[in-house]
Amino acid sequence: MRSKRYTGVGPGVGSNKTANAYDSAVLENRPPFEDLYRDFLGRIYAYVRAQVSTAADAEDITAQVFMNAYQAYDRFETRNTTPAAWLFRIARNATLDHFRAGGRREKLRRTIERQPVKTEDPAGMAEERIQYRALLAHVARLPERQRDAISLRHSGLSFDEVGALMKCSEDAAKMLYHRALKALRESVQEEMV
Amino acid sequence: MNENEDLELQALQRQLDDAFQTTRPRSSFEDELWAAMQERRPWWQRARGTLAGVVAGIRAAPRVPATAVALVLIAAIGVGIVSLSKFHLGGGTASSATSAQAPNGARYSGANGALNPLPAPKLADNSFPLPAGSQAESPPQYAGPSKVVWAGSLQVGITRAPVFVDTYLINAGDMFAASLGAVPQQAGRYAGDGFTLTITGNSFQLTPDPTRLPPAKATPAETAHAFLSAHGIVPASPSMVVVEQKGTTTRVRYLRQFLVPGYGFANAIDSAGQRTGIEVDLVNGQPTLVAGPLPLSMTSMGDYPIITADQAVEAALAPSQRSAPVIQQVPTIRLTSAELVYALAGVGNMYYYEPAFLFSGTFSLNGVTYMKRVLVPAVVPSQLSS
Repeated sequence: MRSKRYTGVGPGVGSNKTANAYDSAVLENRPPFEDLYRDFLGRIYAYVRAQVSTAADAEDITAQVFMNAYQAYDRFETRNTTPAAWLFRIARNATLDHFRAGGRREKLRRTIERQPVKTEDPAGMAEERIQYRALLAHVARLPERQRDAISLRHSGLSFDEVGALMKCSEDAAKMLYHRALKALRESVQEEMV
Repeated sequence: MNENEDLELQALQRQLDDAFQTTRPRSSFEDELWAAMQERRPWWQRARGTLAGVVAGIRAAPRVPATAVALVLIAAIGVGIVSLSKFHLGGGTASSATSAQAPNGARYSGANGALNPLPAPKLADNSFPLPAGSQAESPPQYAGPSKVVWAGSLQVGITRAPVFVDTYLINAGDMFAASLGAVPQQAGRYAGDGFTLTITGNSFQLTPDPTRLPPAKATPAETAHAFLSAHGIVPASPSMVVVEQKGTTTRVRYLRQFLVPGYGFANAIDSAGQRTGIEVDLVNGQPTLVAGPLPLSMTSMGDYPIITADQAVEAALAPSQRSAPVIQQVPTIRLTSAELVYALAGVGNMYYYEPAFLFSGTFSLNGVTYMKRVLVPAVVPSQLSS
């Protein structure tokens, strides 16, 4: 029987309602990797997808995240961090690597961002709801730290975990998130004008 | 912050929650990725997982005496050793019991090492005899029943060769198109800045806009290289550049190669046994078509033990298993040359580039000259899964 010790962070507005047992929970025993894979694949994909321009890139990065996590799982220490924070750290690094990969990829990203939203993904490439693609496209255009704060928070992480991943305090993470939220609202409103 | 603004932000947060909850990969992605992760897992991790499962089962069972647990554990470890032995038959001992039976009947001694088993590369089983002119190559390839004899010389000089692996992604074509900055137009067709792109299976064709071509360089090879470089598709792997003239078309071929330590460069071949790579067609010194296989990001799986030259010849001459010959006379074909090549073999969503020996020779049948090719996997049979 798995034993879990929760840190008492509950879901609410601004957190993901699909948060599961491994969220914000420091575990005494390491759960089977299959459990983490099943529980986090969709959420990691969504986190990555909110930051990159194409579903293909999101799949590519998500695959890299879980390949890396699978190889490193023996070294994952449950006493030091939560499975969610551990996985999202890997995802964040993989996403940053993606953007650092070079000018060619950046050029591609800019090229794609210039395309109308409808032509970004081939039909059927990803089962994304059309009405939220535009919103996530606005998230993707935010400055890096704001984009990260929004994506991590709405992937179900607590502000404590967001701050730890972004190397700032919990309060600083909250401030960053709220600034990002306002910037996002302005971005959306500008397009509506 | 006024009340309206607060309500707006809360609404935006709810939309974000919904967006992140409903943004998910396509339904088959989960299974594809999991399969790829399992394929890439080293054998000792798989074995450990199996044993861990056995131990977990024992722990879960109530009131099992410790002695019984110990006995089951010993049995499980024994089974694990036996099951793992299929990955490294022989183990360097002189025991003939550990030699493997090759599919073609030849027997080889086992090999050391603990490597993942590989699918065996094969040539495409074309209908026969192929009508003259049915293939681009000359002479046409013969895949019918025949008796083959060896009249050449094969030197290998190495005992191990690297194997490479890549994962097939269902959207590999889309990813390649996106890397060129091309956007989809319709199924398999894309439009880029100054070119159109067609992707069929694992191959692509890029057609430049003839009105937007840069000035030609001094030689066809330089023009081709400049064009590929401008689009970022100069082959990253070692390639031999060959320039051929066919009528008014000059074809610059980047024939893919693999560097084999102790041997040199080995050519990559396609399923027909022909050398493969990106090709650039030029007319009047300007590129008119670029075609080739989609790029693969191959990862080394390590060096696998390979068979000797004598064993390769023995396997090449083994009787064909084909049945019901349609023609009355089975030709005798002299295989006169052989070389170490790299051939693609796929299983599931994994691609492997594996070393193989390609034997070839020509013969005449009913007045038509044919090419006969025989492909023999170079990896020792004990490391092959099929």
